Amino acid sequence: MRKHNAPRGLRVFGLVTAIAFAFPGLYLVWRNFTSGADPLGLLFSNQTLQPLWRTIYLAGLVSVSAACLGTALAWLTARTDLPFRKLWSVLLPVPLVFPTFIGAAAFIRALSPGGLASEWLTAFGVHHTPQLRGLFGAWLVLTFFCYPYVYLPVNARLKQLPGSYEQTALLLGDTQPQVFLRVVLRQIGSSITAGTLLVFLYTISDFGAVQLMRFDTLTRAIEMNYLARPPISFAMSLILLALAAVVVVSERAASRHLPDIRTHRPQHALKYELGSWKVPSLLLVIATFAISIVAPVAAMADWALGGTLRSDGRPLTVSVSKIVEATINTLTSSIATGVVALLLITPIAFLANRHKDRVGKFTHGVVISTFAIPGILIALSLRFWTIRSGFIGSFFYDSMALLIFAYVVRFASLAMGAASVAVNAVPTALHDAAATLGADRRRRFRTVDVPVMKPGLLAAAGLVVLSTMKELPISLILAPIGFPTLTTRIFSSFEEAFVAEAGIMALVLVTASAFLSWSLVLRRSDAL
Amino acid sequence: MQRVIILISTTLILLGTACGGADRFEIDGLAAEIHSGECAEKSDELVTIYSGRKENLIDPVLRAFECATGINVEVRWGKSAELAMLINEEGDQSPADVFLSQSPGPVSFLEAKGFLATLPQTTLNQVTPQNRSDAETWVGFSGRKRVLVYNIDELGPSDLPSSVFELTDEKWRGQVAIPATNGSFMDWFTVFRNYHGDDVATEWLKGMVDNDARYYPNNRSIVEAASRGEIKVGLVNHYYNYQESAAGGSKHRAQNHDFDDNDIGSLLIITAATILNSTENVSNAQALVDYLLSSSVQQYFTDQTLEYPLAANIAPNQVLPPLAALQIGSVDFDSLGSGLDKTSRIIESSGIQNQ
Repeated sequence: MRKHNAPRGLRVFGLVTAIAFAFPGLYLVWRNFTSGADPLGLLFSNQTLQPLWRTIYLAGLVSVSAACLGTALAWLTARTDLPFRKLWSVLLPVPLVFPTFIGAAAFIRALSPGGLASEWLTAFGVHHTPQLRGLFGAWLVLTFFCYPYVYLPVNARLKQLPGSYEQTALLLGDTQPQVFLRVVLRQIGSSITAGTLLVFLYTISDFGAVQLMRFDTLTRAIEMNYLARPPISFAMSLILLALAAVVVVSERAASRHLPDIRTHRPQHALKYELGSWKVPSLLLVIATFAISIVAPVAAMADWALGGTLRSDGRPLTVSVSKIVEATINTLTSSIATGVVALLLITPIAFLANRHKDRVGKFTHGVVISTFAIPGILIALSLRFWTIRSGFIGSFFYDSMALLIFAYVVRFASLAMGAASVAVNAVPTALHDAAATLGADRRRRFRTVDVPVMKPGLLAAAGLVVLSTMKELPISLILAPIGFPTLTTRIFSSFEEAFVAEAGIMALVLVTASAFLSWSLVLRRSDAL
Repeated sequence: MQRVIILISTTLILLGTACGGADRFEIDGLAAEIHSGECAEKSDELVTIYSGRKENLIDPVLRAFECATGINVEVRWGKSAELAMLINEEGDQSPADVFLSQSPGPVSFLEAKGFLATLPQTTLNQVTPQNRSDAETWVGFSGRKRVLVYNIDELGPSDLPSSVFELTDEKWRGQVAIPATNGSFMDWFTVFRNYHGDDVATEWLKGMVDNDARYYPNNRSIVEAASRGEIKVGLVNHYYNYQESAAGGSKHRAQNHDFDDNDIGSLLIITAATILNSTENVSNAQALVDYLLSSSVQQYFTDQTLEYPLAANIAPNQVLPPLAALQIGSVDFDSLGSGLDKTSRIIESSGIQNQ
């Protein structure tokens, strides 16, 4: 692999970004120090080892299942003649938008024994549904909420692969499954590992789902001890961050062996006919849709209708104007976050992948590891740094800029993997040819890089936008006062058992995300 | 996209015209029931609140306060524990003047750190001594009673125990849900430890674990599980079942059961108001805290949010079971600041979180 010297400006940019993303980690180290925490001693105590093991075990299981499910769905929607492909492509990213505190609760309400589905299933002769709890419940809900982390980037990559390799393999007598295993899987390998890494990191940092499923992981101990025993919370959070760093480094080492497959020219990818696999494939997609979207949405609709149709009792505490206000806030802040994240991450992806620059690789690692830090600690760390940084801090204090920055620190990692794959997809030969023909750097970027990277970058932005829409702790702590989002309003209603209000606003959130999924990810990348 | 832009700009124009020109606050709905009569003129005065109490319940009170006094109210809504951590991080630069907490734990945490100002005696004296801080830094302004929620299809009132101590009986094996890591449960257990002693409290929790009690993360999820029949009974705050049945009607299959009046299981958990040391708006902050304790607001809390009033001699709403001994007894929330540490240790080592 040829090494390109990175422009100095780009390296400085990378370093500044790394420092910005290191705020939460540095804050954690500092708080461990000042609170007299003993992360090393704690690491080897029974109090930590068991939940730590459960955390890793759960994250491993969810990673494997979400990787398989996400890849299968991406293949079916991108490269086959699956019926209603367009519709599925719009709907399948939606689970990303469920805040777990209400998403997991809706999941339980719909599917647990005695829930909404049980009567319906009895009619079909199914009388015993498994209780959703513990490892099984946590695995199920996280798999079905996390597969889009794999689905979105893999789908974008599949649409872009040159058909020539596959055609050659087919001509040489490989069967379709052989082509998939030998040719396609190798080409999408880096997208799958990047997405799976996000699933793993999300799972170890998740609090809402594991708690409602009553599976005792590290985040439970962290949450319980914020006030009661702060040193324990800080030390365990640091352990979580260290675990994330280890996993990120191993993923890099592992994916180094995967080939970078370059796109020669944006072109139409090969489509396969499902034939006799059509019905089973359709059933898989429908089952995923039913479990990950219909079930929670049905519970939300049940809550919403129960409160709206009720003739007596308390009137609803939400009004149309409040919902509109929160929806506009949610959309503007999450789209802004997506744009800023993309502007920040694309140069880093260039630095780390095109230029193979050390600063770039370091920044890449810092950005991704930060995804494992619980949102509340990211919020507190940024508050901590703004308060201690004099006039710059007072300028950003309570500003939209600080909120967007915090969202970016929390979620830019989601864009990192997809952006790296996109950068690697640009063929160097094409670049060199353009340079020979006299195109300057800027022109090459516009005419060569951007068209090839577009689907990958849009998938990256989609991941960031949908995740930001559901973000809770940062929105509560850092949003300017008087800037409610849908998620903060859903939270405050749901916590106090105002389930009708929470249900209505959750449906608005889901609708808004489906609209964004349609307009942001699909229309553009299909137009390519 | 165009349509979105049109929608957004129309909304902005509408908002703009609604705000233009008015120099008085305007209120309606529940806020207007709290404060009847015309609103005061808007002033430049401001009070900033960090509220762990949620918007749906308390926003009408704050709107009524604005109307009554002309003081502008700004609120950061959040979780009580996280807001306490935020104040701890912001220190004397915190923009917050007042902190409203869902339970006593977070205010005790801030009291121990020295972030709270002393409240005037006239404010403190509006509630009974056990509903305020001995250090005179915070005051309770409404209460939620601990109860046992139960599934009405599985159990009747006569099946239910009169004390939390009965729940360790074989009869209840595998049937009781406990929100063991929830803030208000941890506060309750800390008071339990002080009231009966560490040995009794620890043994009770161990008995519950041995009796296969079920761990749930919070009150709301227990009430929901009880209604579905997933568990038969659960230890919760009284408040949640009223909201769930208001939303679900007859589909909701759970009800509250009260333990005996003098049982620790019947403790009243208070929500607390406090003023921060760092505030520059002392008089506005005090006006707000006093307003929370006024008769019209206390009446609102018991009628609309179905909580127990703590001040102004307001009687609890008729639908609420009467309060007796423990409320007026010898329990004390003051030990919470230092006591939560030990409570957390006892709860974690009991292993309840794995049940």
